[in-house]
Amino acid sequence: MKIKSILVANRGEIAIRIIRTAKKMNIRTYVIKTAKEPGAWYLEEADEIIDFTEDFSEIPEFLDIERIILAAKEKGVDAIHPGYGFLAENPTFAQRCEEEKIIFIGPSPDAIYRMGNKTIAKDLARNHKVPLLEGSKGNVKNADEAVEVAKSIGFPVILKAAAGGGGRGMRVVEREKDMERMFSLASNEAEKAFNNNAVFIEKFVREPRHIEFQILADKHGNIIHLGERECSIQRKHQKLLEESPSPVVDPELRKKMGEAAIRIAKSVDYYSAGTVEFLLDDNRDFYFMEMNTRIQVEHPVTELVTGIDLIEQMIRIAEGEKLPFKQADIKLKGWAIEFRINAEDVQSGFSPSLGTIEKISWPESENIRVDTGVRDGSVITPYFDSMIAKLIVYGDDRNKALQEASQAIRKFWIKGTKTTLAFCRAVLQNSNFRNGNFNTSFLSKELKIHYQFEPDEVLLAAFFAVYDYARDVEEQEEKSIDQRKSKNITPWLLNKRLR
Amino acid sequence: MPKEEIKKKQKTKLIALHSSNKTYEFSKPLEKKIKYMGKTVDVKLREDPDGFSYIVWKNKKYMLDIIEKNQNKYTIMINGVWHSFTVETPISLKRKKFLESQGEASSKVEITAPMPGKIIEILVENGSEVKEGEAVIILEAMKMQNEITSHVNGTVKNVNIRKSDTVMKDDVLVEIERS
Repeated sequence: MKIKSILVANRGEIAIRIIRTAKKMNIRTYVIKTAKEPGAWYLEEADEIIDFTEDFSEIPEFLDIERIILAAKEKGVDAIHPGYGFLAENPTFAQRCEEEKIIFIGPSPDAIYRMGNKTIAKDLARNHKVPLLEGSKGNVKNADEAVEVAKSIGFPVILKAAAGGGGRGMRVVEREKDMERMFSLASNEAEKAFNNNAVFIEKFVREPRHIEFQILADKHGNIIHLGERECSIQRKHQKLLEESPSPVVDPELRKKMGEAAIRIAKSVDYYSAGTVEFLLDDNRDFYFMEMNTRIQVEHPVTELVTGIDLIEQMIRIAEGEKLPFKQADIKLKGWAIEFRINAEDVQSGFSPSLGTIEKISWPESENIRVDTGVRDGSVITPYFDSMIAKLIVYGDDRNKALQEASQAIRKFWIKGTKTTLAFCRAVLQNSNFRNGNFNTSFLSKELKIHYQFEPDEVLLAAFFAVYDYARDVEEQEEKSIDQRKSKNITPWLLNKRLR
Repeated sequence: MPKEEIKKKQKTKLIALHSSNKTYEFSKPLEKKIKYMGKTVDVKLREDPDGFSYIVWKNKKYMLDIIEKNQNKYTIMINGVWHSFTVETPISLKRKKFLESQGEASSKVEITAPMPGKIIEILVENGSEVKEGEAVIILEAMKMQNEITSHVNGTVKNVNIRKSDTVMKDDVLVEIERS
């Protein structure tokens, strides 16, 4: 069935990204307006706005399954695209769409459920001969049980939220005595983030690389991979920079890992776009971590090196079309790097930086793509995550892409909030990063200072402060002279008039 | 040097004191020139049509912005990195240095909230011994639970917050007597 209208159940840059492709395909788009950001840019990009500003629900707007389904039915939309986060990996939501005859632009509820349950996902990997990290058989109930498992597989271990993702509800435990505190942190965070406090334990691989494979599969059993993304530059398991291809993956390893990714996806009859995440250790052995059953934040780097519009493919697959290409057609060309620009104060431990984007501008070129949900005047609220833009650069090879990136970041100006741009500069300056020699411990071990500046800049900033101060003092002096003058004059005038 | 001249000299200088304690001196009246490694280099202050302020220095553009300003306290953002200064006269700088040397005797250290958020857990109480790097508070912000750690070894003297309190950035959470 041809999809003629889509409700985008998301906000920010990904809503705009989905709408862009929908427009290209002549599909009518709907978005949800919330009281939390009623002036957001994504609202203007859609054809129609569904108003959720009257907040009668306890459930946050983008998590309110029944309200979204009801709105979709009232408007008679053909399909829902969930974007990432929120309901993107909620099997109940996909199921409810199916029941109400709304096309869910994503995989089947069953695939979401099985991949979302880390225990089932691991069993699938084991049964399909995909290497994985040992850990608890299912969830662990309490810290005592966690200690027992940890002792059997050996410290360090990592606690992970069973329903998790995005780094939340995750804690590395180095010693037995830390378990109790870490266990309660992980399960509290899991409860808050996913409404499910279940956690499980896994062996923790020290300093691995994080490599993931993009999968595309149709409803007719055709499945391919679109190569890897290198996502090792992370802070507390949150990705900050991604690239494709990876500096360490050669064609042979790509084939091996890609085939493993396909085996995993096939095991749940996967269709739509999806991502299989692996850890890669020093010996180039890889381990299955999880499968993300959605479009990912970092999908643009794959789009730039393959020339494939992943959102378009998701829509076509949802319509029941067959994949238009085979594995042999997929050639990675050039190099793409994505920088996540977050409204965070890198100089204060990446703490959130709220405020208003007074001005935002970036250099335009055929090698630069910017996906963003903010523009001049946009307000950064505490309600949603801190990512405000993604800068994606392209080059014929990694060096050219790095060169492009340095120039683009220098000219990427944001006024009104602190951002991670200074961090991006610091990463780009690092010689080990430039040489492709890094892993997930890059931030904690290799990059000593998380922001980069030149000594000249401090001098210029000092000059600017002094200049502004001197100007203020001058203005005040002038004012007080005027006042003194007026004081001298007024009584005289007054006297004269009185007389 | 005659007294008059000293006075004149003091009046004709402004000093930016960086948070690292490094000082940057500029003579008054302020011109758009900076003495740099023995040379005088022109500085151009510009505002582009988009509303960004920038400095042109040695043929390079530097985007900059005042992000905080309170009397003589400034936080300036330049190319995405912020720097804090106080603008001082030679006399006020001298006084400040003197006061600081007096203050060093005090050993109380304040642990402040690095961001606005909600107190999830308090891991210490009055009299607790803490080590540098030890977690004292769990603060939730932007849906993440953050451990707030002590940056000194010492004894907890005061806990200013209770569980579930909402705190603002820079609120004092815990006071620690350095040991």
